[in-house]
Amino acid sequence: MPGLRIQYFRGPVWGKTNEQIRKMIVEGNNPITGRPVVQELVEKLTKPLTAEEKKTGELKPPMGPATYTGTPDELQKLFLDNRYTDFMPVILPTEEKVAEMLKGTSHKPEEPLGKMNPQSEAGETWSYTVKTAAINAVMAGAKPEYLPVILAIGASGQEGISVSDNGFMSGAVINGPIRDEIKLAYEIGAVGPFAQANTTIGRAWNLLSINGANCGKIGTTYMGTVGNPMNAINIIIAENERDSPFKPLSVRRGYKEGENVITLFRGWGILSAANWKADAWRNDMNYAQIIKDICDQQGSMHGCIAVLSPPIANFVKEAGYDTAEKFTEFVRQPVSVPTTDALNRIYQIAGDVVRPQGTGLAAAPAGPAAGAGRGAAPAGPATGAAPAGAPPAGARAGGPAGGGRGGAGGGRGGFGGGGINFSVVVTGASNNNYWMMGGMAPGAAIQIDKWR
Amino acid sequence: MKGHLTVAVIVALCLGLFCSFPSMNNQAQAQAKAAPAKKAAPVSSAGKITVLNPLGTPPPIKLKDMAPRMDTLDGKTIYIVDDGFVGGINLLQEMVVWFNANYPKTTIVLKRKGGQGFDSEDPQLWAEIKEKANAVIIGMGH
Repeated sequence: MPGLRIQYFRGPVWGKTNEQIRKMIVEGNNPITGRPVVQELVEKLTKPLTAEEKKTGELKPPMGPATYTGTPDELQKLFLDNRYTDFMPVILPTEEKVAEMLKGTSHKPEEPLGKMNPQSEAGETWSYTVKTAAINAVMAGAKPEYLPVILAIGASGQEGISVSDNGFMSGAVINGPIRDEIKLAYEIGAVGPFAQANTTIGRAWNLLSINGANCGKIGTTYMGTVGNPMNAINIIIAENERDSPFKPLSVRRGYKEGENVITLFRGWGILSAANWKADAWRNDMNYAQIIKDICDQQGSMHGCIAVLSPPIANFVKEAGYDTAEKFTEFVRQPVSVPTTDALNRIYQIAGDVVRPQGTGLAAAPAGPAAGAGRGAAPAGPATGAAPAGAPPAGARAGGPAGGGRGGAGGGRGGFGGGGINFSVVVTGASNNNYWMMGGMAPGAAIQIDKWR
Repeated sequence: MKGHLTVAVIVALCLGLFCSFPSMNNQAQAQAKAAPAKKAAPVSSAGKITVLNPLGTPPPIKLKDMAPRMDTLDGKTIYIVDDGFVGGINLLQEMVVWFNANYPKTTIVLKRKGGQGFDSEDPQLWAEIKEKANAVIIGMGH
């Protein structure tokens, strides 16, 4: 329904009182036209349809010619002007380069590969072929041997760039011998742009999303309020299976050891663990508990992911969690440390009479990270003394919904209920005790070899 | 009971996320802007190369018949539907208040769409709207 009448109301509305909404929005003016929005709304209900709106039939968007000819500089400009790029120069996809790229697969160029949209309801679902993916892989600077990985991603239909104003990013974890075969980095700088394979596979994913599915167009298919730097090349993680104490992620998801598998993720992204837990660096570290504490701060929307370097993963193992499954079970236990959000609600319930001065959290009970020695897995909540008038300990973290984070009753996140979705991945080098954490939830896992 | 639907107006209250909701916008126009039709120049000359168009294929866009508009709101029933995003219901409640105050002869019915997602269908509600409403306003986004 391209002629659908849309009335824009200036948002955001969440966080506003009804009185604010009434005065600022309902009784306000359209910021673009300057006219009262409700008057415009009524007109949309009552103004007769225009000739344009009465048109029926089918629209076929002009997609341009099959080829473009020009000097390299002219073509770079044309690709940039047409928004075929990620705003960086591309390798121009000549027929010869694309043919060379297609040697990376036995699949026919015109074979339908997949369908994709900017995420669900936000736009039409476009379709693309193996050749479309190969063209975009060339543009990204990928090598033919990377193509099966890129095709596996394309076959999944998961967009690299989501429309959401949240600024979601995409990531992928690769397991199997293909990691060495195509020289994916999984030691120093594993999740950064420090290897051609990691970097160009992530970029090809984005270019395929932009060109194959019309993603990432500000004003129509991209609305990230602040944006996300991880949208640049996504995050392509090859697990360091050699140094990990845990089974590869793909095996934990049901694939055989030695199979080449890519597991796709979507979420907020990852950050150094130090950005999540202040003063985390001490000589005596309970890594397992710190990871749990950080996950306890995450909403349920994308769950929690720990991207551990091998030393951290081994600390976790030595703490008694010799499998990723055992560690996951520990992390998913009920929240043991009240978060800022939970405490603020407790203080509100308590009538604000016990809120400490200064940070607002100075009276927070000692967390288990401070109280438990390395390796000790606390058996239950260790929330310490609750402020006067606070609800029972079991109700603290999850709000009225009863302990599940993100519950309908106002628990953190607010996007759902139930236990958090936790993923642990091991990559990187062993030169120091650093790791990354964030909110990324796993989606499809795809066998790569069928795209060879 | 209103008999049959005489007007099917869907006005999306775009509150942020999808303020340029592509499937409701003229996506074709947007795409045309992004990829203006150009004549191919197949003849190469010195210094020139030929490259491939990297675009995928959009679905054909079918233009649906739009329902005639109402000449007045008096005596009509308008459904206002919330898609469930945080805070949207507060805005729609205020719109109900506004319509009741300014169009007292119009019946306003506020409903929350069922389903798990913002874009999930609610056939029961759609059937009710077809049966009872003269127009519908769907609030989308946040």
